[in-house]
Parts: sequence; structure tokens; C-alpha cells
Amino acid sequence: MRGGRVTAVLEVAVLVLVALFLLLALQGDHPESSELRGYLIENGSRETGALNLVTAIYLGYRAFDTLGETMVLLLAVTGVIYFASFRKGGEDEEDHHT
Amino acid sequence: MIWALICLIFLVGLWGVTRKANMVKKVMGLSIANSGIILLFVHYGSLSGATAPIEGSGRPMVDPLPQALMLTAIVVGVCVMALALVLVYRLYLRFGTLDMHRVELGAWKLHD
Amino acid sequence: MKKTTILDLVSRKLAPFMLLFGLYLLSYGHLSPGGGFQGGVVIASGVILLFVAQGVGSTISLFPFRALSLVEGGAFLLLVAAGLAGLAAGAGFLGNPMAGVNVRMVPRASMILVYNVLIGLKVGAGISFMCMYLFREDR
Repeated sequence: MRGGRVTAVLEVAVLVLVALFLLLALQGDHPESSELRGYLIENGSRETGALNLVTAIYLGYRAFDTLGETMVLLLAVTGVIYFASFRKGGEDEEDHHT
Repeated sequence: MIWALICLIFLVGLWGVTRKANMVKKVMGLSIANSGIILLFVHYGSLSGATAPIEGSGRPMVDPLPQALMLTAIVVGVCVMALALVLVYRLYLRFGTLDMHRVELGAWKLHD
Repeated sequence: MKKTTILDLVSRKLAPFMLLFGLYLLSYGHLSPGGGFQGGVVIASGVILLFVAQGVGSTISLFPFRALSLVEGGAFLLLVAAGLAGLAAGAGFLGNPMAGVNVRMVPRASMILVYNVLIGLKVGAGISFMCMYLFREDR
């Protein structure tokens, strides 16, 4: 159990380091307005037709991304059905096999 | 101040992933870390305004780009969590336990 | 498991409104906060509320496996078809050919509305299908 304690201390130390890094990296000043934001607010609705700018981005400028996202969801549903539809009986046969 | 809170949420997730032996809790930790990152991005975007990014209000809007990106992140996070939970369920059917170390022991036994 | 009256009643009365609110979110996603994914998730949460409170056995006649999987696959194919329609109309794949048109009575966001509704139906059907498969009792 001694090795387990050493790894525990190491993991907590890594967590503390990550915390310090995050605190240092996240604070500080950030740009209040960017060029891209100004462009989106000025032209987003006119170029894509949606008043909601989030919709204008994810169905206008980044529609391929949305298509891929729906594919990811389709694959996740397929995977869940594939993995959840095994029965317990099928596994015992595998056990005999090994 | 809010940076510290977001850090805390992310670290709670990371702690759950690394230090918990129960695999369902590991998946929950992954989800919590994901929420922390989503909060971080939405907070970055919300620094520049106060209203929803819909044209016509006239008041300064928040940045719509991080919100649109986090939409993707949320959907992918849901997919990852569903698949991870189903894999944990399969491991439970196979080894009869949710404990990571016992699953490892069982896998070694199967190997020998 | 024993059912309480309050859970039974509240879930039965609340679920239609959740479905309606989801449909509202996905059909007004181009004008107000909301959109395809959000509306789809709200629809799925209404269906999941029924699954959790009423049991999968009594809800499955309302949302059969076959219908949900058909909506899931069919909405994806229709989304690709709508994208090809945008390509045929000269706005690029998944583009919105109405964006530059300034005609009265034709909303500029009509193609975005079609995409939003299709994505919302697909996401709602997919997530409720996934949860139905996990909540099943006959294994």
C-alpha cells in the first residue's frame, strides 16, 4: 500500500500544479472587442439571414461543422445500441473460448 | 473571482477522473471538467456585452463565437458521456464490479 | 416499483408542454434564443421524463423504436438533401439561398428554419432513442 500512497501524493501534487497554472493563465486582461466580433455583428445577419447570431454562425458560416456534429451524434447512438444490445449469455460462450 | 470558481470546477472534475476508483464517478468527473471548460469559454465571450447576441436590441451584445463553439462542445460531450457509460456498463457485465482496480485484476486474470 | 399519484400526474401533464416548448425553440431558433440542438434536447427531455416517470413499457407505444430510428436516420438524410438543395439553388452546400433575397413575405431565414427543424428532430429522436435503449427492462 506504500506505492499507492506515493502515487496519491504525486497525483495531488500534479493537481495543485495544474491549479496554479490555470490560475496564472486565466487571470489577466482579455481583449474586450475583437475584429471578428465586430464583423459578425455588422454582417452576420445580412450574410446568413438569421437574426440570432449564434444560429448565423452554426448554420451559416460553420454549417459543415453542424453536419459533422449530427454525424457524431448518429455514431454515438449507433455505438450505444451496439454495446448495450449484447446479452449475458453471449459472454459465457466467450469465457469458454478463452 | 470567477476565474477561481471555474478553476475549482475544472479541478473537481480532474480530481474525480484521477482519484476515484469507481468508473461511473470517473465519467461524472469528465463531465464536470467539460462543464468547467464550457463555462470558461462562455465567460470569455460574455465580457464584452450584456445582452444575448440577437440583432435588433441595440445594446452591446456578448460575443457569439464562443457560444457557437461551445454548442459543439456540449453535443460532443454528451456523445462521449453516453459511450463511456455504455462501456462502463459492458465492463460491469463482464467483471461484476465498477471498481477500476478490480477490473484491472480481472483483466490480468483473463490474460493468464 | 410503486408509482405515486403526484409523479404520475405531473409527468403526464408536463411532458406535452415540454414537447411543445422544444418545438417552439427549434422553429424560432433564427429569431430568438434557441436552435436545433437546444430544441432537440428539450424534446428529448420531455420524452425521457415520460420514460422515467411512466416506465418504458407504457411509453413505448407512444414513441415506438421503429418511428424513432426512422426519424433519426431520415432527418439526417433530409438534412443532406436540404444541403444539396441549397447547392442547387446556388448558395453552396448547406448554404442559405434566401439570405441575399429581399422579397416581401419570404423570410430570409427560411432555409435556416428547415435546417433547424431537421436538426432538432434528429437530435431529439437520437437522444430519446439512446435513453430508451438504456432504460429498457427486458434484458
